Order: sequence, then structure tokens, then C-alpha cells
Amino acid sequence: MTDKVLIVDDEQDFLNIISDRLTARDMNVTTAASAKDALNQIDKESYDAVVLDLMMPEMDGLETLKIMKEKNPDLQVILLTGHATVEKGIEAMKLGAMDLLEKPADLSTIVERIKHAKAEKIILVEKKSEERIRDILTRKGW
Amino acid sequence: MTHPIDPIGEAGLRFYSKVSASISHEIKNSLAVINESAGYLEDVTRMAKKGMTVDMNRLETLAGSMLKQVQRANTIVKNMNRLAHSLDDPAVRTDLNTLIELMLHLSQRTTVTRGFKVSAAFSEPPVIIVTHPFFVENLIWLILNFAMDATGDAQSIELQPVKTTSGAKINFTGLDQLTQNAFENFQTEPVTLMVSALKSRLQADENKGMIILNLPDDISQPAQ
Repeated sequence: MTDKVLIVDDEQDFLNIISDRLTARDMNVTTAASAKDALNQIDKESYDAVVLDLMMPEMDGLETLKIMKEKNPDLQVILLTGHATVEKGIEAMKLGAMDLLEKPADLSTIVERIKHAKAEKIILVEKKSEERIRDILTRKGW
Repeated sequence: MTHPIDPIGEAGLRFYSKVSASISHEIKNSLAVINESAGYLEDVTRMAKKGMTVDMNRLETLAGSMLKQVQRANTIVKNMNRLAHSLDDPAVRTDLNTLIELMLHLSQRTTVTRGFKVSAAFSEPPVIIVTHPFFVENLIWLILNFAMDATGDAQSIELQPVKTTSGAKINFTGLDQLTQNAFENFQTEPVTLMVSALKSRLQADENKGMIILNLPDDISQPAQ
């Protein structure tokens, strides 16, 4: 099964190239050049991971991350930034980011983090299914 | 024993470090594109070695993109260099069009990130005065940061250099929600010291939504 990933960055050239490279690695890639576009995408589709730029015009990455997590708490978000400070990193983790990578990042690291995000998502989904089954069993009294 | 802090020095360092942080971010963005482009070339080379066809048009686009990023990074570094050299001389012949253009570039990331559009109505012929360029740049930076809280829904600020009988002025327009109270609060110690060091005058026109920075023709001459 291919990994489904959403890449969010206001640098169109970056989006084009990384999208091509990840696609060549059997990933199903969608891109968004703005936070607004990304939020529309996650309303429509489910992703194994979102790679999100921290500094974007109009709405920054942390604000976007907060809204994404409100919409879908299980969403695995990897922040990518050229402007990493310890404070921003801590804030991002508190808001539920899975990881924070600094630009320029090695593609193999990005791929590895996406795979890790997908594994985390599967664990969360399985846990939720288990809880749902347990709940049904308790309520029905089987 | 504690040392007294020089307010202008501290404001200058704060300005310089903010610009440096913004510039390093911009350069890293360019490097990220170049890094991915190099990685893409590696991918293509590996595929070509295995006998797969190489898309020459894609390679051409990639080369164009890399060149664009190199030019972009070069412009960023040139601007940083110009800012650094603006501290060389405390009184230098300065074209306000050029200085404002530099400030638009240097503040772009900050203003765009906050959703603002900052533009300039350049003067023809150019307005040239003898001034301390770094203080003017720092003051423009501080006024822009203040102005972003004083604009209306348009979120648009325009800078215009104008020749005057006593020297020049820079008009900052688009500050529809400017109040005298907010303007007074803006004039902190570093701002007033910088205005004084430039032998300049800062005015606000609430009705026109405008701040005016009046600069003398020659800072090296005694104030009139």
C-alpha cells in the first residue's frame, strides 16, 4: 500500500521537485501552496502524513497545525522549516506535531519520517477500532 | 555591576538580528530547492544508468529552477551586504528610492507572513540627501512594524519619498486606524533617540492615516 502524503509549502519549485521525488518512491503525493489550500485538502482526503512548512504567508505553520489537529487529532504532522528555534520546536510538539525537520532536509530522512508517521497512524486506528469493539461488547453484554 | 544599555544600540541590534533571521530563512528556502534539485538529478542519473529514458524537458525546467534559486539567494545576500555597509559612514549621500527599495526587500518576509502588502511610490527624479542610512533603515523597519497594527482591512502600506524645501520626507500611507494615542505610545526611547540622531521629525496625520518622517537635507550640517 502506498503512503499518502500531503506536502504544504509556499515555495512552488520546492513542491514540484519533492513531489516528483516522493512519487518516484511509490508515494501518493498531494501538494498545497497555502495553509488554506491544505486545510481544504484534509477536509476532503485522509493522509498518512502531512509535511508542513512552518513559515508561510497569511497563516503560519503553527496556526495551521493547530487547526489541522482540531479537525483531525490523529493526523500525523511533520513540520519542515528553514527557521527552527527551540521555542518554536517546543510549541510545535505541544500542539501535537510528530516531528520537526530543518530545511534543507535529506529526502531519506523525510521518507523515513513519513513511514514512521504512517505506522503511528495505523497504531492509532487499530487502537480506536479495538476500543470501539470493546465498547460494543460491553454495551451488548455478549 | 551592571552596564547601562544604549537604547539605540539595542534597537539597532534587534533590527539587524530580525533581518538576519528572516534572510537566513529565505536562503534556507533557496537551498532546500537546490538540494531537492540535486537529489532529483541523482535519481535521474540512477534511472538512466538502468537504461530508463530521461525526460530532457524536465531536466531543462530543473536547471532553470536551480538558476532562479541561485539568483534569488544572490539578491538576498547582496541586500544583506548593503544593509551591513549602511553602518560604514554616519553621513552619506543616500538615494531614498534605493534605500526604500532595500527596506521593502528586507522586510518582505515579515510583512507578507503577516498578510500585508508594502509598496513604494518612487520619486522621479530620485530624492537624494546626506543622512545616516542605517538609522533611516531602522526607523523605517520600526514604523512598518507599528504601521501593520494601524492599517485597516486593506492591510496595505505605501512608502513615498518626497523632496521638501528643508530636505526630504518619507510618507507612510494606508494607516486607516492610526490614532494619536497609539502614535504617542510608538515613540519609545529608541525611536525618539533615533529621530533625534537623524535630526529628523516624526509626525502623524490621523485624518489621512499617515505617518511622515521629515529628514534634513544634510545630517552633517547643524540643525536649523
